[in-house]
Amino acid sequence: MPTKVPNAPESWYRTREGLGIWPHRGKVAAVGVGLSPTARRWDGRPETSVGAWSILALRKAMEDAGVSPDQVDGLVMAQDTATGSPWPPGKPVPEDFLTTFQPTDDPLDGLTRLSAEWILQNTPELTNVKFTMYGPGCMSNAIVVAAQAVGEGLTDTCLVLKGWHNLEGRYYVGQGAAAEDTIAGRAKWTTGWGTVACYPTAMHFEAYCRKYGVTRDMHAPFVVNSRKNGLLFPEGFYAQHRPEPLTVEDYLSARWIAKPASLLDNDLPICVSAAYLFTTPERARDMKQKPVYILNHASDRIKIRSVMPTLEETEECAASNARKLYEGAGITANDLSFEGMYDGFGQFHVFHLEGLGFRGVKRGDALHFFQTDISIEGWNPVSPSGGNIGSGRTRFWHHTDAIQQIQGRAGKRQIWRKAEVGVTGGPFPYGGNFTVWGATPG
Amino acid sequence: MAILISFDIDGTMEFGDPPGGITLEMVRRAQELGFLIGSCSDRPPSAQQALWEKHDIRADFVAPKHGLDEVKSRFEADDYLHIGDRDTDQQFAERAGFRFYWAYDAIHEPWLTLGDAQDLP
Amino acid sequence: MPKQSPIPDELDRPFWAACNEGRLVIQHCTRCDRLQHPPEPTCAQCGSADNLEWRQVSGRGRIYSYAVMYDTPVTVLQADQPFNIVVITLEEDPGIQMLSHLPGTTVDQVPWGASVQVEFETTPNGQKVPEWRVVG
Repeated sequence: MPTKVPNAPESWYRTREGLGIWPHRGKVAAVGVGLSPTARRWDGRPETSVGAWSILALRKAMEDAGVSPDQVDGLVMAQDTATGSPWPPGKPVPEDFLTTFQPTDDPLDGLTRLSAEWILQNTPELTNVKFTMYGPGCMSNAIVVAAQAVGEGLTDTCLVLKGWHNLEGRYYVGQGAAAEDTIAGRAKWTTGWGTVACYPTAMHFEAYCRKYGVTRDMHAPFVVNSRKNGLLFPEGFYAQHRPEPLTVEDYLSARWIAKPASLLDNDLPICVSAAYLFTTPERARDMKQKPVYILNHASDRIKIRSVMPTLEETEECAASNARKLYEGAGITANDLSFEGMYDGFGQFHVFHLEGLGFRGVKRGDALHFFQTDISIEGWNPVSPSGGNIGSGRTRFWHHTDAIQQIQGRAGKRQIWRKAEVGVTGGPFPYGGNFTVWGATPG
Repeated sequence: MAILISFDIDGTMEFGDPPGGITLEMVRRAQELGFLIGSCSDRPPSAQQALWEKHDIRADFVAPKHGLDEVKSRFEADDYLHIGDRDTDQQFAERAGFRFYWAYDAIHEPWLTLGDAQDLP
Repeated sequence: MPKQSPIPDELDRPFWAACNEGRLVIQHCTRCDRLQHPPEPTCAQCGSADNLEWRQVSGRGRIYSYAVMYDTPVTVLQADQPFNIVVITLEEDPGIQMLSHLPGTTVDQVPWGASVQVEFETTPNGQKVPEWRVVG
């Protein structure tokens, strides 16, 4: 049992251009995928807690890969599982949860956060895990950390995990510092003015539309297409609970959160967990699914000049990120079969897409590109997973989809052209972690 | 007396996510009394329409949650009610000049007495 | 419109004290000759804490971009929704930003790129904050 699980060292992240080919290119493979069910909010039962669903996702990933639990020697995960509404202060932890699972020192472990200790205590069949590490925040980070760990030889059969819980209450509204009459710390310069999470992106998008002479309604086809793709994701929230396509009119009539960002530019917080199984190409040969090779990873550590990133900083960061991704993988934008960059907030995708230069899209072009065929049936499949817009807020549908696309088992989402190289990641175009996936080692 | 009732869906209607206490029977009863009924919800309007049709109810209107004022302008009524479970329901209702009922109070169908001109609590 | 009242701390106390005197000051690194905002313990460029001072600026700026808030998390601002939140850049250095509700300008009628002038608004605890108004 690990005593103190560390975060990944900063040196593991490829944050600069000019680093050359990733030394572990093609030496790490994703094989298994496991997903829990989804729910809009936690229903209070131990068996649907984020801890329980994370264990379920881990077991499914092992089963999917054809790996027995005792073969697993690594676990990389994100601890944070919050979606925006906190555990009410003073509310007791349900007794049946405490009796169903072995607790750690933190009684909310497994309910509103997730430690590696909790997972290992409550997944007793994982008897040989010797490497544990956190990739904080998103699955995008955990993937980068796990890829590096396998590449470095620290683990050769590694589970990668991210869970989300969602409790009653509104997304950060009227909570904590936002409910106070006074404001302290750095929030004095930002959130104290009333900004919400999507504000910077809305502000960028306003500047973007003016700079390039485009209009918000041109974003609608992307949102409609994303939901369409999401409804083809059987594990997704909307496919399971609200099989509702979106129309352009739905998008344009949605209420504003921070105009020009509306409710449908914001993603829906949900409960869900996902796990992947990463391994070496040698070990992957004996597993059940086709290996998907990791060709590179890259991360942004943007230093913004002032209160919030500008449009220009955002555009340059996204472009620099793409250069890093291509350089380390030894590919160009022309090699991409598809892209699965993050979309929660929807307008992120505009900046990600232009940064990548996907299908030759240049700055100011993305909304024009959205007026063309971006469906999975066409040559230019944009966000074939449907992302958060298509399946709810997880920040991992696009990774799951990339693995399944290249394995050729994305079901009804399978893109029409051959899926050979894809790029995924997020969250921000001005900061995040990104991965290049390939059908061959490179 | 023409009365229009708007229902939120999630947390309000029995087919919402989470399910609320307002049943389809209550809606049908209101409709049989001649009330105009429909929904104003954060579900997309096309999805709201599909939900009513799935439950075999002909809704007079569907609108996004902030669309109550537009509903009011489309339909002439003596009284406008919105039933919901969130503070946003209350805010949008009051801003549009609707009387607001919390879903947990509305399960008593206070609108049934409106035809007799009894005042709402 | 009523705002949350800022609580000055060790790092930014001179900024807020100047606001109470009707002056706008920004942290400045004398070695790099570079402004920085929000205040930091060290210069973001040279890393030194020894060359930071507070420099008074003109209080003139421009509108960079904006969004209109319809669903703010901040309780004291909710009654005034929707409202503008505008990103202002300073005349002395367009890389330096401040946020503003742009008093005097109708919601969603923000004049793109317009010149603005700082003014100081008193918050409920008596602390003044910089606000910006369109000029010219």
